[in-house]
Amino acid sequence: MGENQKEQGAVSRRELFQVLGTAPALAAATAGSGLAQSQEAHQKTYQRKLFDEHQWRTVRVLSDLIIPADDRSGSATQAGVPEFIDDWLNFRKQEDGNDDLSAQVLGGLAWLDRESLRLFEKSFADAADAQQKQILDRIAWLGRAAAEDQRWVAFFNKFRDLTLNGFFSSKIGVGDLPYLGNTAVAEWKGCEPDVWARIEERMKNGYKGLGGEVKPF
Amino acid sequence: MVEMAQVKATPKTYDVVVVGSGAGGGVAAHVLSLAGAKVCMLEAGGWYDGTKQSSMFQWPYNAPHRGAGGKEKPFGYFDATMVGGWQVPGEPYTNAAGSEWKWWRARMLGGRTNHYGRISLRMGPYDFKPYSRDGKGFDWPITYEDLAPYYDKAEELIGVFGTQEGLENTPDGKFLPAPAPRGFEKLVKQVCDKLKIPCIPSRLAILTKQLHGRAACHYCAQCGRACAVNANFNSPGVHIFPAMKTGNLEVRTDAMAREVVVGSDGLARGVSYVDKKTRSDTTVYARIVVLAASCCETARIMLNSKSSRFPDGIANSSGLVGRYLMDTVGSPVGGYLPILEDLPPHNEDGVGGMHLYMPWWNYQQQKAGKMPFARGYHIEFGGGRGLPGPGDFGGSEELFGGGYGVELKRKVRRAYGAFVGFDGRGEMIPNADSYCELDPNTVDEWGIPVLRFHFKWSQDEILQAKHMQDTFKEIITTAGGKYFTSATPENNWGISKGGEIIHEVGAARMGDNPKTSVLNQYCQAWDCKNLFITDAAPFVSNADKNPTLTISALGWRTSEYIADQVKKRNLPA
Repeated sequence: MGENQKEQGAVSRRELFQVLGTAPALAAATAGSGLAQSQEAHQKTYQRKLFDEHQWRTVRVLSDLIIPADDRSGSATQAGVPEFIDDWLNFRKQEDGNDDLSAQVLGGLAWLDRESLRLFEKSFADAADAQQKQILDRIAWLGRAAAEDQRWVAFFNKFRDLTLNGFFSSKIGVGDLPYLGNTAVAEWKGCEPDVWARIEERMKNGYKGLGGEVKPF
Repeated sequence: MVEMAQVKATPKTYDVVVVGSGAGGGVAAHVLSLAGAKVCMLEAGGWYDGTKQSSMFQWPYNAPHRGAGGKEKPFGYFDATMVGGWQVPGEPYTNAAGSEWKWWRARMLGGRTNHYGRISLRMGPYDFKPYSRDGKGFDWPITYEDLAPYYDKAEELIGVFGTQEGLENTPDGKFLPAPAPRGFEKLVKQVCDKLKIPCIPSRLAILTKQLHGRAACHYCAQCGRACAVNANFNSPGVHIFPAMKTGNLEVRTDAMAREVVVGSDGLARGVSYVDKKTRSDTTVYARIVVLAASCCETARIMLNSKSSRFPDGIANSSGLVGRYLMDTVGSPVGGYLPILEDLPPHNEDGVGGMHLYMPWWNYQQQKAGKMPFARGYHIEFGGGRGLPGPGDFGGSEELFGGGYGVELKRKVRRAYGAFVGFDGRGEMIPNADSYCELDPNTVDEWGIPVLRFHFKWSQDEILQAKHMQDTFKEIITTAGGKYFTSATPENNWGISKGGEIIHEVGAARMGDNPKTSVLNQYCQAWDCKNLFITDAAPFVSNADKNPTLTISALGWRTSEYIADQVKKRNLPA
């Protein structure tokens, strides 16, 4: 037994990874219309479909307020979030057969300017950082918002979801999480022991997390 | 009848013509061409070879709309289904007033086996005799023991992983080793142990070891994109290409089957189809016709095969073609489990699907009359640190109350991997209000009359959906989590729309009486002895076990019967 079988196994494992090495190139060559392109290239050549020049500035400022750069990764604009949102709103319009989502976002952007002009005599994008945050603090937490601001809370919630979806599905966002898959694994071993030890410890002793407190079980 | 000028007849006569190239057509073509029959396969879509066309390892951020699904690609940009979905351009279907059936079709070689979930569950002994057990629906004309050897063969060919468990009505099989569970799956198993819900390794048609020259899985979790190394079951890579190597199988793509042609003796003579490339009508002649176009499409071809001999469609003297259409009951709940927050980064892709699942566990309570509904469901679940897509990071208002800035960024980062989703897959009992028929007005662009659907859930299914909701919420809250669901009493506990789970079966059921069934126990038409069906149309019931493995086993049994009957000269040879 042994040698022969082992050799066969080794060869096919090597072959497997050779095939895997060429697979993405093949897929890119056969994907057809709407061909996938690198995110960097996409960002450089992106043609806006919805936002005008002023709205574009506002979207860039607002998305960076939601996801600024920190010690781990870049900001929303670095990750291509404004391009993502502009494209996404257009995509939803085509898919849903209505532009309700675009209207909500554009309406919310208009309100940010209206409030900013009223309070600071500047458009939202031109206001100072602290002034921008003063407005956001009114609409960023559902529980703290005044009843009359409710529709702007709903707008901000939607815009925040778009920003987070755009950021964490970007190349920068994937690295931030980090997501470590989308690759060939030579041997699958299941949950790593240090990860399971952490889960077990929390099951035994309880855990106070962001999303609530877990009692021991 | 006057023959039109453009109708061309191919003079060659094959032993068998098989309509469809998915799980059912694939197994028939495979078994029969290996047995030496000259087979012609018709596929309504184009050629597809996952080893050359897979989009494995591509990144959503390099795809349009970050790889999101839309009308053209409902399961995402990288999904293996090239042409298909809930709507196929130029090929409509209609719904009767009050019905909302959804019909998924894949127009490509291999059909739905290219993208499906690879869940491979045997039906159990109870599942073949449901009427005898609870007085609802109908019994199959065969038993589990009749089909068990063919489950063996199917599993040994396609490769299914799993474990020997010995659970009630959940037969074990010829399994490859099961992959070890992911972290969130181990956690959910602990919770299920506490709740006395069995949580066992799942059974998927993905190779954890090399098999018949096919490579083992490399754990990228992207089976739905087609596998470049053929490590998962797909009809082209496992059934069709090996069968073509025998020289006995010819595949014609872009061949939209229209009707079964019948001779004056009442036997099938072949199949007429529209060549989509030239829009010309062609007939392929064969001694035996096997329909495997998918449950509803098979019924459509039969109903469209009208002749003086068969005025209501071929083999439809019972009037049951199209009747007792079934889907699977589904109802989802999402969950957030704080215990999974902030774990050390790790790759938990695994195979393209769940490593653990929960088979139905209430057979005894049901028997004792303690359940408010008949039949059961199994639980499928997913979660963890999956490939980030553009729909995965919403909901910070519900989770964190809102916020923005560096603090929010950190929270979302910590929360990644702590989401889980549960979905039930339950049995629907066939009912007289759920069926398809030819629409009297609408045709497709090939000039073929289309189907009109009628569909209704009964209280058994609706109450089952409620039970799913209650169970999933209990699992999530026992793990200390928060659940998210849109189910309400008004929307019947979030029950799926008919067809939405893409498990349509029935529509030409088998039985032991020609008056109350379309086919005999070998899926041979009572009214036309050289016409067979090997997709899910012969199903008499729709157990919670996903249909594909049973299609494979039943199709294998039918194909062996055909070969045997030809040998015994009971069928034309």
